[in-house]
Amino acid sequence: MSRADDRPSWDRRDFLRHLSAVTALGASGALAPERWPATPAAGALPAVKLPDVQSAATRVEELTLAEAATLLRQGELSPIDLVEACLARIDAYESRLQAFNHVDPDALRAAARASDGRRGGLHGIPLAIKDNFYTAGVPTTGNSHIYADFVPSWDSEVWRRLRERGALLVGKTQMGPLATSRATTPDGVVTTRNAWTIDDPDVYPGGSSSGSGTAVAAGLALGSTGTQTGGSITNPALAQGLTGLKPTMGRVSLRGIIPLTYTRDHPGPIVHDAMDAAIMLQAMAGPDAGDPRSLGLPRPGDYVTAATPVRRDGETRLRRPMRIGVMPDALDALSKEAEFFATMERLGATIVEIPAPADWDVLTSSEFNNTRLPERSEPFLPELRKDVRQFGIVLSSWINGLLLPGAEYVRGQRARLLLLQRLLDDTFQRCDVVIQSAAIPFDITGLPLIAFPTGFDDQNGASLPRGLLLGAPPCAEEDLLAVVAAWQDVTDWHRRRPDLDAPSGDAKGQLERQLDVLEVEADSQ
Amino acid sequence: MSERRGVTRHPVADIDDEALDGWIRARLQLLGVDLSVLPVDDASAPVDQRRIFESARRFLRGTLPALADFDLDEQQVVPLTVPGSGGWAAFYDPYAPRSGEDA
Repeated sequence: MSRADDRPSWDRRDFLRHLSAVTALGASGALAPERWPATPAAGALPAVKLPDVQSAATRVEELTLAEAATLLRQGELSPIDLVEACLARIDAYESRLQAFNHVDPDALRAAARASDGRRGGLHGIPLAIKDNFYTAGVPTTGNSHIYADFVPSWDSEVWRRLRERGALLVGKTQMGPLATSRATTPDGVVTTRNAWTIDDPDVYPGGSSSGSGTAVAAGLALGSTGTQTGGSITNPALAQGLTGLKPTMGRVSLRGIIPLTYTRDHPGPIVHDAMDAAIMLQAMAGPDAGDPRSLGLPRPGDYVTAATPVRRDGETRLRRPMRIGVMPDALDALSKEAEFFATMERLGATIVEIPAPADWDVLTSSEFNNTRLPERSEPFLPELRKDVRQFGIVLSSWINGLLLPGAEYVRGQRARLLLLQRLLDDTFQRCDVVIQSAAIPFDITGLPLIAFPTGFDDQNGASLPRGLLLGAPPCAEEDLLAVVAAWQDVTDWHRRRPDLDAPSGDAKGQLERQLDVLEVEADSQ
Repeated sequence: MSERRGVTRHPVADIDDEALDGWIRARLQLLGVDLSVLPVDDASAPVDQRRIFESARRFLRGTLPALADFDLDEQQVVPLTVPGSGGWAAFYDPYAPRSGEDA
């Protein structure tokens, strides 16, 4: 079966044909709270059907979201149990991890009590939400002086969808100021730690969704949300042994998220494994009448099914045969990640070396990437005029965005489409998914990208997670999930957890004390 | 016109720091943005004028020539903004989802 035959509902020419200039529309109204209702006139959200995922876990930090949801449905755990377990870990470790900007234990316990007895969906699942998502009645700071006292009166569409399906808000997570860099204070003092090196602030936790990554890696929440404009979902995932999914641009509404770059911001999940990413995306995805970027895409896929491992004759197999492409700048991965490629071939994939599209180095360069900067400056022009000191450590890029003339901005936008055309015409004619060495090309083009763990590297005496990036054509999140789910069905890297009680500097020893590998099996449904 | 396209390197005029800083100041003044509230040069501050101007000069000298060097056929591509297809539909009827679960 050809690639085109596999995806009748989505045509790349349609994707290109509709690249209409809606920036102005999106910028003028989609995110302005006074112009859109707090609760759009949306119907009841459809149920998210979760599989039964059995677990041998004995502690909350060992559970995946899917396992916890199964235990909740079966009545073996209550939302109160989960919440108290998360709060106990926050109480024990948060002062060192600095994953959160805001936690309200009383509100969390009250929400858990209200949720108790309800079954299905995300009821009772404690989530950590990045602090640039509006949460009604809860401070939303973007880690910036600009939003220091901001308490929104309405929910971001993402949090609305998660909350109405029963998720509980553990807290708002630390982030790079206004979604830039790793998490620091607005004035640049490093805050959030990598959970694998809790006492070493020099180890990169991934940014800008640093706190979201750390909260999940450290077992302070069952899942989290991040936003990605330049690697900010996939980087924390790679740094902390997690699975991070940046969906196709528009697949998840951005309404109610503090903007960094209107045409490049992507909300998505940071979680333990492909199934958890699928569950979160299933709840988050879909059109939002209040965000024109989310309209007109094909209907969301069946992500949970895509992330459910397939077994034939007792052996794990890819859901369908797929070609995994490797570009020249990712060829190092072929040797370093030999286990991954050998395993995927055994599971039914074909590994293909493919050339980079023409002008790849130019079109993905930092100079072309800089054409995003005016989009961060424009919405904040009033604050820039009022007092530039409000921007703290990140002011430079907001100033630089004011200095890029319109002609160059338009050229940069045209170059984005050229890059997209070449990826679709060249790269994805030769493969179904492609290994990437960096997130930027897929951030520029709005194509989906997933990060997942593949092992550990020794770095300065510490053993730290490493992983791979895998990209796909528009709206092919199911393919990404299927590949990662198959890989995770035969490996246990995603089940490793940092030992937060290990003596400082003994990160390497943590691996020897790893928890017993959990026997987790997702039932096909 | 399509034959004329490609990457064309051209020499970048040697604009000294003083001239570039004058252009930066003028543009920011036109926009009403005042950098004088920042310390001039204070490494202990989160940000100062020296670092802002250094970053801006580096940005302009790198990004503008790189974009100018890259020729694009006017028939080849249109400006990519948001790769969705519902923008104008939302403009006409913003509360009528076109497809998907909320329809």
